[in-house]
Amino acid sequence: MPLSSACWSHLADGVRCLSARTPNTWMLLLYLLVTACSQPPETASPALHQTYPPQPGGTMISAMPSDPSSLISMVAGESASSAISAHIFNALLQYDQNLDLTGELAERWEVSADKKTISFHLKPGLKWADGHALTSADVLFTWQLVTNETTHSPYASDYQLVTQAEAPDAHTFIVHYAQAFSPALNSWAGLQILPKHLLQGQDVHTTAFAQKPVGSHYYQLKEWRHGEYLKLVKNPHAALGEPNIDWLIERIIPDPAAQFLELMADNIDSMNMDPITYARIIPSRPALQARLNQYKELGNSYTYLGFNLKHKPFDDMRVRKAINLAIDKQEIIDGVYLGLGVPIASPYKPGTRWSNPALTPYPYDPQQAKALLAEAGYRDTDGDGYVDRNGQKLSFEVLTNHGNKEREKTVVIIQRRLKEVGIDIRVRSIEWASLITRFIKTGDFDAVVMGWGLGLDPDQYNIWHSSQQKPGQFNFIGYHNAEVDRLLEQGRVEFDQEKRMHLYHALAEKLYNDSPIVYLSAGYGLTAIHKRIQGIMQPVPPAGVGYDSQKWYIPSPLRRTEMQAN
Amino acid sequence: MKQLFSNPLALTGFVLISLMLVLALLAPWLAPYDPDAIQVKDILLSPSANHWMGTDGLGRDVWSRMLFGGRISLLVGLVAVGISTAIGIILGAIAGYYRGWVDTVIMRLVDIMLSIPSFFLILAVIAFLSPSITNVMIVIGLTSWMGVTRLVRAEFLSLTQREFVLASAALGARDWRIIFKHCLPNSLTPVLVSVVLGIASAVLLESGLSFLGLGVQAPQASWGNILTDGKEYIQFAWWLSLFPGLAILITVLGYNLLGEGLRELFDPRSTNSR
Repeated sequence: MPLSSACWSHLADGVRCLSARTPNTWMLLLYLLVTACSQPPETASPALHQTYPPQPGGTMISAMPSDPSSLISMVAGESASSAISAHIFNALLQYDQNLDLTGELAERWEVSADKKTISFHLKPGLKWADGHALTSADVLFTWQLVTNETTHSPYASDYQLVTQAEAPDAHTFIVHYAQAFSPALNSWAGLQILPKHLLQGQDVHTTAFAQKPVGSHYYQLKEWRHGEYLKLVKNPHAALGEPNIDWLIERIIPDPAAQFLELMADNIDSMNMDPITYARIIPSRPALQARLNQYKELGNSYTYLGFNLKHKPFDDMRVRKAINLAIDKQEIIDGVYLGLGVPIASPYKPGTRWSNPALTPYPYDPQQAKALLAEAGYRDTDGDGYVDRNGQKLSFEVLTNHGNKEREKTVVIIQRRLKEVGIDIRVRSIEWASLITRFIKTGDFDAVVMGWGLGLDPDQYNIWHSSQQKPGQFNFIGYHNAEVDRLLEQGRVEFDQEKRMHLYHALAEKLYNDSPIVYLSAGYGLTAIHKRIQGIMQPVPPAGVGYDSQKWYIPSPLRRTEMQAN
Repeated sequence: MKQLFSNPLALTGFVLISLMLVLALLAPWLAPYDPDAIQVKDILLSPSANHWMGTDGLGRDVWSRMLFGGRISLLVGLVAVGISTAIGIILGAIAGYYRGWVDTVIMRLVDIMLSIPSFFLILAVIAFLSPSITNVMIVIGLTSWMGVTRLVRAEFLSLTQREFVLASAALGARDWRIIFKHCLPNSLTPVLVSVVLGIASAVLLESGLSFLGLGVQAPQASWGNILTDGKEYIQFAWWLSLFPGLAILITVLGYNLLGEGLRELFDPRSTNSR
């Protein structure tokens, strides 16, 4: 007889859970046995390894996890939208392969002596895909649109610093700032210019243009089946010349596992993936690996252990440094990211000009960590294995966001290493939204394992400046250093890239010595692209594997047949 | 005891559970490695002579974690059922002995509790409190006492009409004496069966909660969270899903077989006992 009828439903829940799992395991075992007996024949044709001369034509199929809500990215504010609209619209400026600013629609630009005025000069003969001329009036219109209160653009703040914008002639666009603002140029590389003649007088939130855009970049939208795919065709009037590949198809496949199955079935040519798929699953399938090029590139982001500097004992720099020295970052990179990460010593992507090459990551040195703790007054006086001061053991709670497997594993490794130097930490993983609203915004935490994703401009005023500590702002760890504040303020008004570099190197050094956070690792972005796509820049430039994708081509012997492509 | 061993169902269940309990009790001596020792150069090794059940995503020895995880899983089962049985017996005895409005109130409470899908009630409570092994045990205990209450009440309803109980009442025995000395010992047989089956469902519940990340927290191992960790690697690290799955299966099967065997043994209507 059951404990109660309700208990049977627990049992049933559990049994469902088990039975759903066990057949998988058995099928997997069976699969392993079958594949062990007979390796599948090599399906990749040898022609894949041959390099062909560039030729136009063909279709490239990619996968993305979600459907864009609108192709006007300043309204949508989501990565799905900008991934597509970046093929359709141009900005005034762009980053070159070494991540230096260069012209896109603008041929050249000048910054006035007082750094408060920037003049952009457009290239001659620019056209929209429908044949209309693209002029500075379109740029002015776009600026008015993004700063308009009714547009509610999440990107508006940078453009609202412009006090006055003007288009004195068809090729010139001038902006005035109240104060010099060096991230300004970066902001003009991010604003996609929209056509005035099609959008004027329309409500940007409801306009049909958002579903049927007309741009000036390499591709134009041909067909959009919501939730299924977007089909782009090359734009004959493209401002920067024609791309090689005729068609781009972006399939909407929300589940990464389903994306991977499509990649295995050769129904998509490229996808982004996690370290396990990249480093373990693909190498375990030689036939699949043989037809893919795998790319790993350092993203502009890093994971860190951040302390609440307003809580004891984190106000003591020696304790922060001791914790930094007690954590083996390479162990986290090897164990969690399967080696697909690098240790860092500054809050900038390693290898870029902003990253200070003189700094080396804190070593793993538990002995020195213990010495620093002793110096700060923490010793194990009661022999329980944990250090204490005034009868209080050194113990705190580390929060991270639930469901992020990499961070959850990272915390377990940190817990283990800190235990070895006598620090007791409790781990709690909390769902993202409540982690932010309940703990981060209220400042009610000891330490967190989180990450920062950064833009290309080195300005990190929002993260480190002492004025940015209000609830919801990014300096939630409560970092305050007058020298750092000064460097950040100078960096914002300095236009000379060389001088800016020195300012940010000095900033990184201050942070290194203060150790307000422990840099854990900068992770790689991992991509697999089918070998039929050729012309990908080798080695991958700092701007990323997707740089210069208009030069990619698909040799005709390697193309899918018309049936497959459609 | 002899009867127990003559019943093949009960015997099999008893052997399986004893095996699991012995392994769990002897974990510190049987485990070849520290269950929490991270070895990143040894991550995701398949089973071998060094690591009988392979290693997990952080290079920890799965066999050692299974042994220590078994302690947690079995402990949660025992303590949770202990709590639910204690509550169930007390409420059932009160309801069955005093009847009247007390009985009505308690039985309506039982009906209310039974009408709530308890897995989701537990999920909600654990999400509200912080997930920990103590909370899991308490919450499972507090949400699964209803079956025992009904059983004990039913036994009391018939026992209070029996001559020996009426006699002791006539002799002026106090309520507590009648409840604890006369009625309770005679009502425990069916409770024993339900306790054994209850442990099985509590073990499953704990595994389910840990699988969802709401049960036992890292780095402490339980079968449920070893399974969760394995989910990420199921495409190629089958050992991380198979072994904890099997352990849960064997334990639950063991308790269910023992429970069924006991019921056959005690049930006067069944033919092959007594």
